[in-house]
Amino acid sequence: MPLRLEGVTKRYGARTVLDGVSVEVPPGITGLVGPNGAGKSTLVRAILGLVRLAAGSARVYGLDPATVPLAVRRRIGVVPEDDCSVPGLSGVEMVQYAARLSGLPSTEALRRAHEVLDWCDAGQERYREVETLSVGMRQKVAFAAAIVHDPDLVILDEPTNGLDPLERRAMLGRLVALARDHGKTILVSTHVLRDVQSICDRLVLLVRGRVRLAGSIAELTGTDTDELRLRGAGPTARLVACLTAHGVAAREAADGGGVLLRAADTAALHAVWLAAHDAGFAVESLAADRRPLEDVFLAALAAADAADAGRPEDEGRSHAPA
Amino acid sequence: MPLHDVGYRPWTGTPRSRGAAAVIAGTGIRLAFKSRWLRRVLLFAWSPALVFAGGFFAFEQAVEESARGEPVSPTRRLDNFGTIGALVADSLGGRLDEPEAARRTVWSRLLLAFMRAPQAVLLAVVVGLVAPKLIAGDLRARAWLVYFTRPLGRTDYILGKVLALAAIVGLVTLVPALVLWIVGVLVSPSVWVAVATSDLPLRIVAAAAAVTLPTVLLALAYSSLTAESRIATFAWFATWVACWIAHGALTGADMAAEAARAPTANRGFDRLLGQVAGDPRLPRDGRPPLGWLARAAGLERTVDRWSWLSLYHAQGIVQAWIFGIEDRLAVVLPPLLALLAVALVSLVILFRRVDAPARA
Repeated sequence: MPLRLEGVTKRYGARTVLDGVSVEVPPGITGLVGPNGAGKSTLVRAILGLVRLAAGSARVYGLDPATVPLAVRRRIGVVPEDDCSVPGLSGVEMVQYAARLSGLPSTEALRRAHEVLDWCDAGQERYREVETLSVGMRQKVAFAAAIVHDPDLVILDEPTNGLDPLERRAMLGRLVALARDHGKTILVSTHVLRDVQSICDRLVLLVRGRVRLAGSIAELTGTDTDELRLRGAGPTARLVACLTAHGVAAREAADGGGVLLRAADTAALHAVWLAAHDAGFAVESLAADRRPLEDVFLAALAAADAADAGRPEDEGRSHAPA
Repeated sequence: MPLHDVGYRPWTGTPRSRGAAAVIAGTGIRLAFKSRWLRRVLLFAWSPALVFAGGFFAFEQAVEESARGEPVSPTRRLDNFGTIGALVADSLGGRLDEPEAARRTVWSRLLLAFMRAPQAVLLAVVVGLVAPKLIAGDLRARAWLVYFTRPLGRTDYILGKVLALAAIVGLVTLVPALVLWIVGVLVSPSVWVAVATSDLPLRIVAAAAAVTLPTVLLALAYSSLTAESRIATFAWFATWVACWIAHGALTGADMAAEAARAPTANRGFDRLLGQVAGDPRLPRDGRPPLGWLARAAGLERTVDRWSWLSLYHAQGIVQAWIFGIEDRLAVVLPPLLALLAVALVSLVILFRRVDAPARA
């Protein structure tokens, strides 16, 4: 297991920032989500061995960040949320510098810096000082600096912040490529649930320093049944009757969002189209019935608020809508 | 898509586990030299070396003329270098009739005067230009996120910054002093002078280290305390000037008290007028012709009780001790301890501050 946290607790004075966090991050892309102040940044610092834990332990590829932080950091690449650069360095110098700090020889560091910047589509902008670059370009440089030493685990904090839609899609594509084609483990801390749903295999929800939800996206957004949801325009009651007549088990969705049905094979799907035709129902989509991740997120937050109600240290930190 | 995009490829090399400090130092030096002002100040900082090189040449000329039996005296017309050399030797307590002993004495004192008088002041300027940005700039640009997410620790970071600044300081103190010694050897009558004075390069290195270590650590400690390099620059120069003023005021008060006790002798104010007394090696009435040079060369025999208060004066006395010119423990110990304390406290501040944002 690339990353394993067991009962990780971190306190700053009387304030508990991480409270017994236990989570496993397998290879692939894992989304770390949570409201502001949930403890995501502190968790990343704990993984890097930058903070001393009050209790619990972390293991990165079996290494303990508390005892061998440098060995751990050699296997990690980090893209911080905040702008960070070494004043006076150009984009390519910055990436080369990051590579050299990670132990690459000078010439090799320069070659590798250009290679990853090419992959990030950095263009000639790489020769300008980092402070003068656009937000999107700075994000590319930060990403290139994080992966230049070919780390096994890449941690990204809000990697799509400030990116236009095209660049955002390209950045997410790079993450998927790193995970799928090169077997990297990627931990993405973000607020953008759409990104999490589109690229992540797993999700960890952190609220007030505690893990409230962890599991695969399919598990978390799926329903208990293997139903499909048929959406479109037309009389749903008549559609249900026609589907039943064609031997397909169906019912109207309680939330009013179309019809839920079971279609186990191709013949059943064919019957669905015939039933829709007979009922005069214009089909817009037929897909596995999944809950939006946002609904899962909000439900988990509400559950966390309810569970924490009355805890003195959590007073005034509720996320319930006013 | 760029022409050279080969996609993402794994890196199969073996990373070095050491050398991060050297990488930080190299980059720090390269970035510092982007400043036009630093390049100008460094160029200017070498100009006193030309004057002192002239002093070495003049002294060796005087030694040579003396060896030939030519009369070399400060009372002669100042129409050749030998005469100036005799003045230098006279001021620094070197007797030309004993050339070997005189050479050791005069060279040591010339080197000390060079490192103490112009270079120590120029060093403060150079450090004030470079040091504040080294760590404060990193804090401002949040560069600590670049450093401390990589396989390097506080020691590597601090060592890298210290090496970067020390290398630049070395260009003002160590390198020109070593060049002066080489010039001295080249203008001397025999290359064997290099062997006879072979301890001087080591003393130069030690004296440069005595200057470099506390100043560099103190300046970096200031830099680590703020993200605004201007504040660190102000603190650096304010410390330098305030210590100097405090030292001057207390020394002046001592001299005034001394003058009040013995108004006829008035030795305290004599010192202010450039007269140096008390060294048995000095000629005639103990008043050397080049009083400022003698003072810079540590020939003042009065005890400076307040030297530990001022970085400049403390370093001067420790350097005089390293060059073998000052040998009184009561004089050397307070400034030596003060410099050690400055270095230690600065080091503690640095270790506590450099990765504080990463730990917060």
